Amino acid sequence: MLFSIRSKLIASLLAVALTVGAVSLYTGVRLLKEHVVGEAANRVRLDLNAASEMYRTRGKTTRMALNITSLGSGFVQAVANRNHPELLYHLRHMAQHAELDFAGITTDNSLMLCRIGPHEAVRVPETNEILLVRLALERKAPVDGTVILSREMLMRENPELAAKAHIPLPAKGDPSGTGAETSGMALAAAVPIFDGNAVIGVLYGGKLLNRSETIVDTVRDTVFQKETYKNRSVGTATIFLNDIRIATNVLTPEGRRAIGTRASAEVKTAVLDQGRNWTERAYVVDDWCITAYEPIEDINGHRIGMLYVGAQEKKYTDIPKNALTLFILITAGGMVLAVSFGFVLANRIMGPVQRLIEASRQVSDGSLQPEIGPIQRGEFGVLQGTFKEMVAAMERRQADSEDKIIQSAKQASVGRLAAGVAHEINNPLTGVLTYTHMLLRRKDLDAEVRTDLETIAAATERVRKIVKGLLDFARQTQLDPEPTDINRIISGTVALLENQALVKGVAVKFIPGENLPLVTLDRNQIQSVMINLVINALDATTAGDSVRIFTAAGVSGTGAARKGIEITVADTGAGVHPDHLGKLFDPFFTTKAVGQGTGLGLSVSQGIVQRHGGQIRVQSELNKGTRFFVWLPVTHTGGQP
Amino acid sequence: MKIVVVDDEEIVLRSCRKILEAEGFEVLMATSVDDALDTIDTQNEPTPFLLLIDVKMPVRDGMQLMRIVKARRPDLPIIVMSGYPTQETIQTAGSLGAAHFIAKPFTPDELLSIVFSVPEVKKNHNH
Ligand SMILES: Nc1ncnc2c1ncn2[C@@H]1O[C@H](COP(=O)(O)OP(=O)(O)OP(=O)(O)O)[C@@H](O)[C@H]1O
Ligand SMILES: [Mg+2]
Repeated sequence: MLFSIRSKLIASLLAVALTVGAVSLYTGVRLLKEHVVGEAANRVRLDLNAASEMYRTRGKTTRMALNITSLGSGFVQAVANRNHPELLYHLRHMAQHAELDFAGITTDNSLMLCRIGPHEAVRVPETNEILLVRLALERKAPVDGTVILSREMLMRENPELAAKAHIPLPAKGDPSGTGAETSGMALAAAVPIFDGNAVIGVLYGGKLLNRSETIVDTVRDTVFQKETYKNRSVGTATIFLNDIRIATNVLTPEGRRAIGTRASAEVKTAVLDQGRNWTERAYVVDDWCITAYEPIEDINGHRIGMLYVGAQEKKYTDIPKNALTLFILITAGGMVLAVSFGFVLANRIMGPVQRLIEASRQVSDGSLQPEIGPIQRGEFGVLQGTFKEMVAAMERRQADSEDKIIQSAKQASVGRLAAGVAHEINNPLTGVLTYTHMLLRRKDLDAEVRTDLETIAAATERVRKIVKGLLDFARQTQLDPEPTDINRIISGTVALLENQALVKGVAVKFIPGENLPLVTLDRNQIQSVMINLVINALDATTAGDSVRIFTAAGVSGTGAARKGIEITVADTGAGVHPDHLGKLFDPFFTTKAVGQGTGLGLSVSQGIVQRHGGQIRVQSELNKGTRFFVWLPVTHTGGQP
Repeated sequence: MKIVVVDDEEIVLRSCRKILEAEGFEVLMATSVDDALDTIDTQNEPTPFLLLIDVKMPVRDGMQLMRIVKARRPDLPIIVMSGYPTQETIQTAGSLGAAHFIAKPFTPDELLSIVFSVPEVKKNHNH
């Protein structure tokens, strides 16, 4: 049972810890997941907007640079004059400042005038095929945007560019089967050159995006602020030509830029074919990312590529994952705590219980001084107190009954002895009494002889009294009970002893209780009890003291609460020495001078009262007085025979 | 008037004789029940007399003697004496027809006052 209480306690604490842990774990992780990952997706979407803005700005910057150059002093003149050195100077200057990979000037019918790079001097007449140039001429206005440059066009501009644009494709997943992407994608602009109102040429320039690191890295570094997670940049940006990565800082597992790899088919369909923006998790090269894609369109609105930004998903999913681990650890810690706490608590509670159980075992084994341990506070202390009281009561009762047994054994043996002795003594005593008294009847006695004979007679009288006392004590007289008014018995007793009291100068007062029930008792025997009690009281008092007797209805103090009456005999006399208090009811215990008392009075009285089923008790204080209480049941049910 | 005293104790018999003879009674002594019955039987003349019987005696006790005597001579007054008077003995003695009861030990005056309170004694005893 003990064990089960302890384990129950621990189990409930454990259950609480577990439930709290599990609930917080579940809700916490769910909230985090939704929140963090959702937040991350939002952020990536915003980042894509920023990236796309940067991308477009790049185009506009190029256009502005071209515009400024075309408006520069002497530039129009140089075009008009075909002043190549001058024009080249302007072009180089511009290309350097605007970070352009290619730049050139055409005539008003798209014939090349000059360009930067190895083919700066155009010898053979050559038409520029860049779409923007034509548009600038048609619209007579600056244009900018993304353009595709074929390998031939690149070769013409600068063979280095063609080489740079050449992106080998991995064999599998190559739909075109060329094994390489040779076209270049560029952010370019073209502005018409006006001489007055007439367009005399076009200034164009652009930046090749293939293998270009500037745009994607700028996006990464500004938007994601160089944030890294597990030694990898959190954010990545990519420019796609169709679905091929041509500029990216997404890395391959080997740590190189993943140029030449393709976007997933899903993304391609959604973004390139359907022209939608894509924001979802996607598997990018070798890792899951939270991604955002948008299509890149050329100036005619054809979808030619994609712009991408993404963030490592792991960084965000790891937050709930780490939180989960943390929660599990906390829960586990809580459980360990619950178990140890439960143990401590169980011991705190069960320790005293165990000790009480041990104590009751000791009691049932007969010990009445069981060890119950330190008294606790609270209800348990009350329990311990009650237990202690119970044991004390048992001890008292045991002592009581032991006393009673000793007392009755004493009385029985003394009784047998007394009966035997008395019976034998009475016969010779008859002789002594007879002869003494017969001698005393003689008239011719010498005075001295007469005195001596009288002494013998008196002494014999004493012997006779002693023997009579012994016999009274020994006689297991049958009771002759009748319903009796106890007050009448006591008044009679008081009347008998009034003279004696008067002589001593002690006031004897009887205060009868009213409406007392009749008590079934042996009148003679109870009277002798009363006589003995009152005589004892008179013996203990001196002139000026008082003896008072009360009667009252009362229930017995011990045992079954039975109806009865209580007689109190109280005196203001010498009192009983505390050492003697326990011996008063012993046969032959007396403090009176030899010949004054046999010490049988109270012993006999006790026997009589007990045979009536009653009790006799004494209370006394030395030099203050003594009280005897006699309790008698209304109907006596035999008592001890 | 004759008084028969029955007791197994010599000293009691002698004490009783001493007291009663001093008052002019004729005292016959018996030390057992059989002895007592003999004594009573030999008194063939119907002289009224008194029995003073002790209760506790060896072989047959006073109570048995009383029963026999009461059966034969219901008119005989009997006084019972005992050195160990209990309520019970007093009651049995009374029911068997004892006129009186006296506890041992007693003084001459106590015995005499009991003896003289028997009506037959008052009637027949002449000093
Ligand atoms: N009222 C009392 N005040 C003081 N002591 C008392 C009182 N009653 C009894 N005692 C003490 O108890 C003792 C025993 O009393 P108990 O009546 O048994 O015998 P006793 O009076 O000495 O002799 P007896 O046999 O003559 O009664 C007395 O000797 C006395 O010391
Ligand atoms: Mg006394």
